Amino acid sequence: MPTITIDPVTRIEGHSKITIQLDNQGEVQDARFHVTQVRGFEKLCEGRPFTEMPALMARICGICPTSHLLASSKACDGIMAVRIPETAEKLRRIMNLAQITQSHALSFFYLSSPDFLLGMDADPEERNIMGVVRKYPAMARDGIKLRQFGQCVVETLGGKRVHPGWIVPGGVSHPLQAEQRDQILAAIPEAIRITRGALHWFKGQIESFRAEVRSFANFPSMFLAMANDANEFSAYNGWLRFIDSNLNIVADHITGADYMNYIGESCNDDSYLKSTYFKPLGLAGGMYRVGPLARLNMCKSAGTPQADEELAEFRELERHSVLSSFYYHYARLIEILYSIERMETLLHDSEILGKNVRAHAAPNNFEGVGILEAPRGTLIHHYHIDQNGLIEKANLVIATGHNNLAINHGVLQVARQFVKGNTLEQGMLNRVEAVVRAFDPCLSCSTHATGEMPLDIQLLDADGTLLDRLRR
Amino acid sequence: MVPCSTGCAGSKRVIRVLLIGYGNTLRGDDALGPMALERLRTTLPEMEYISCHQLGPELAERLAACDLAVFVDASGNGEPGAVHVVRLSPEPSHAASFTHHVQPTALLHLAKELYGRAPQAMLVTGTGATFDSGEELSAQGQLALDRICRLVPLLVRDFPAMW
Repeated sequence: MPTITIDPVTRIEGHSKITIQLDNQGEVQDARFHVTQVRGFEKLCEGRPFTEMPALMARICGICPTSHLLASSKACDGIMAVRIPETAEKLRRIMNLAQITQSHALSFFYLSSPDFLLGMDADPEERNIMGVVRKYPAMARDGIKLRQFGQCVVETLGGKRVHPGWIVPGGVSHPLQAEQRDQILAAIPEAIRITRGALHWFKGQIESFRAEVRSFANFPSMFLAMANDANEFSAYNGWLRFIDSNLNIVADHITGADYMNYIGESCNDDSYLKSTYFKPLGLAGGMYRVGPLARLNMCKSAGTPQADEELAEFRELERHSVLSSFYYHYARLIEILYSIERMETLLHDSEILGKNVRAHAAPNNFEGVGILEAPRGTLIHHYHIDQNGLIEKANLVIATGHNNLAINHGVLQVARQFVKGNTLEQGMLNRVEAVVRAFDPCLSCSTHATGEMPLDIQLLDADGTLLDRLRR
Repeated sequence: MVPCSTGCAGSKRVIRVLLIGYGNTLRGDDALGPMALERLRTTLPEMEYISCHQLGPELAERLAACDLAVFVDASGNGEPGAVHVVRLSPEPSHAASFTHHVQPTALLHLAKELYGRAPQAMLVTGTGATFDSGEELSAQGQLALDRICRLVPLLVRDFPAMW
């Protein structure tokens, strides 16, 4: 049976490939997304003191270290059985919002904007970040500035842009200073201006991407995200909720203590990335999505004025939930706007410069679970320790794992729409990659390894003979 | 900043010098760049400094605002302990994206394309002996560090005459 292999997929974080199976008539029969990196962090941390976990787990990824730092620290809070000081919680929330901002800016401007600005069918030699720099320098400057804003907040709080410290079990290591707060606040107006400009521009482009909206992982599915009593956007505190594509609640009030009753994990023979699924429906029927699209479908309001205006407009895209994964990009921009607005509110909080920022305790539980909304979706760190406080077992459930079934389903959908016959064309291949890019997968996180990603697509006939091949 | 000695006789124009030291401080001699910056910061306080893990496109705007950029990095090529200086020119990157690391020449190109100008620039590399996990330099790495810290002030001092 003919097979097309895209290896590696480009402009995403990590190593992967895509295989597209054709039938004897040249029609797409199946398509699979394979992650070719090796998973390792869960194993290598065994035997380490639990207090080392936040710093160790942050090394999983150079893009998402802050998310792992926060989820890991929350899991350690659970082991210590402490309630962290309010100021520390607010500071951690600012850190998480800064991470969402810088990561979403990277996804939108650095990774995906070449497709929007230069076109899905543009020459791949041109359809990259340098092409954007040449043809749309103002957009490139804005993207750099916005990511820089998020990184600067992370650096101001955590000391470094990549692999920051500061977030520790029990809170944060030291209080925020007034001049640091003022420095961040001074940069907020420009960050908001850039985000609003990008939103305005992107909304104006949607019409020209109708085919992609229709076919980019556009199907009914459940969604998983953090929820709270106010039904507002929640990225740090709350419980987990599953909703269906009609916005009905499927399961609610899921906590770290019982997430394993709802979230199953399945290993795959052809990928190092596990697939998670809604356990009560099993692997076959339990597909769901996480991340910006899920979060905006989940919440009734963002909770900040400008983001709420945008959210109201976003909801008009569909009668119930917004289903096309092409709109992940749109949702990311709204989340950036929300994050900046919320950061500003938190920085004006009267307690934000408080000095009590850390709770101290010895281990009081043998188990701890930390749950957080990372930029790409729900992130779970689950640790077991022995009597000496050493890690016996760790389980990490990563956003890209949650989305794996949907990514696979989306790759099949877009391949059926765009891949025709026995000859490969760049525009077709780029759309297959772009549907993966819409989810903004982070494979270093999801398999806890490092690396880069090339592209190699092979088209094989039923006997395995190579019909066509494209590499970059 | 250093006084300008050419092209502006009698003027008070100063030359803005930016030192960028980069590398992984947890991987032995790869820390040469950041460690050199820490030492130079005390001896040449008039310059601007950026110490980072990797080079990113966010540095381009700062580059466009300076006259001379000195990149300091560790290298795995050559005789351990040796120091090399290369003059850099802007060159477009062939990378599909700028997610993790950008070459100094690509950063200069970005500065020119996006912010209108690229500074004169040089790359100073010290050849390391070991890049294993650890926060200490090898003996050869220490030698390279000493050489870099002696060389960079001379390069900066002679910059107006060199270009």
